[in-house]
Amino acid sequence: MSTGFVAARSRGLLHCGCCGLVLQPAAGAGAPRCPRCDTELHALTPRSVQRTTAFLLTAVALYVPANLLPVMSTNTFLGIESHTLVGGILELWHSGSWELALIVFIASIAVPLLKVAALGLLAWTAHRRSTWRQRDRAALYRLVETVGHWSMLDVFVVVLLVGMVRFGVVANVEAEAGLLAFGGVVVATMLASSAFDPRLIWPEQDDRG
Amino acid sequence: MAPQPRPDLLACHECDALYPHRHPAPGDIQRCRRCGATLARGHWLRPDGQLALTVGALLVLAIASGSEIVTLELQGIHSVATLFEAIVATWTTGEHAVAVIALATAFCFPLAVVVLRLWVLLPLAFGRPVRAFVPAMRALRWVLRWSMVEVFMLGVLIAVVRSAGVTQVVVGPGLFAYVALAVLLAAIEACDMDELWRLGEGHRA
Repeated sequence: MSTGFVAARSRGLLHCGCCGLVLQPAAGAGAPRCPRCDTELHALTPRSVQRTTAFLLTAVALYVPANLLPVMSTNTFLGIESHTLVGGILELWHSGSWELALIVFIASIAVPLLKVAALGLLAWTAHRRSTWRQRDRAALYRLVETVGHWSMLDVFVVVLLVGMVRFGVVANVEAEAGLLAFGGVVVATMLASSAFDPRLIWPEQDDRG
Repeated sequence: MAPQPRPDLLACHECDALYPHRHPAPGDIQRCRRCGATLARGHWLRPDGQLALTVGALLVLAIASGSEIVTLELQGIHSVATLFEAIVATWTTGEHAVAVIALATAFCFPLAVVVLRLWVLLPLAFGRPVRAFVPAMRALRWVLRWSMVEVFMLGVLIAVVRSAGVTQVVVGPGLFAYVALAVLLAAIEACDMDELWRLGEGHRA
């Protein structure tokens, strides 16, 4: 790229992915390690696109049971009622707190879907060594990294409800299998975004795909 | 032969663009001109100030996890919930993995963040070498990613609203402690790890 920026790896320099130190590797040494923090040094994270894709596919597979299975059930003297993720949002909506319904909708439905789409786009363009809208893609990557853990919101809500609503036979709340699938979606997307090497957004001439 | 450090240079951790290394002034944020990532951030707090905040966070975490978050009342029955009770109740309903995930991200990892920071900052504040500096820093980098206090805090709020329709809800000290913890951790995490790496290396045991 003739943008006036020089990548460290094009100058034969490596920067440590853990502590950030810039290093001049010695010639001919196999896999160099950072002298400050002992992390293995790579110009680009090995198999980054493959690992990102694998975690993304896991997230997509888990997204189905996460939304179809109930995440919790309420047992009252009126009977047992199962709630799905969407059901919980509708409940908040009907109880009049549409702001919270919106927050939960964004955190548990919109964010996981958009994250999968965004990381899919990043992995695909990185694989093609694309130079399309690089700065926007860099911003997208940072957004995914920042909002990633907020999807865990619904897991905490159900755990808290289970702990709070314990009135014996009158009313109690139980966690259901859908919650584990949903937690799995969140963890898988977080692993996918940490497996992605953002340096791939800015390919260099002699990078090996 | 080991790779030679080049402390005069700084590479963007996101796009690999190379810059001359300049120490950021307090309050100063250096951004990568190519991709917009934050390169370095000069914090107002010196390590002793960070230490004070971290000790505060440890105390608040003890209060947050030990005291009741909410009390519910339904037809004369009271139900008091702390973090651990909520997790134990989830475990007993059979969702063991979910209970473990919640315990780890709302308690264990935040505790590890605070303890590891103390481990590094305490000796540094007294000008002493840090024992096991490298493992501690690497562990700190890892647990930072999986500590979700601020998400848990919002989760409490939503759980309260969802149960307020059917029962009487009284908010307890645990909730306020979690809010304080989220604020303190955000202030502490704004401190650049880069400076800790440099300081710690100077006092290597």
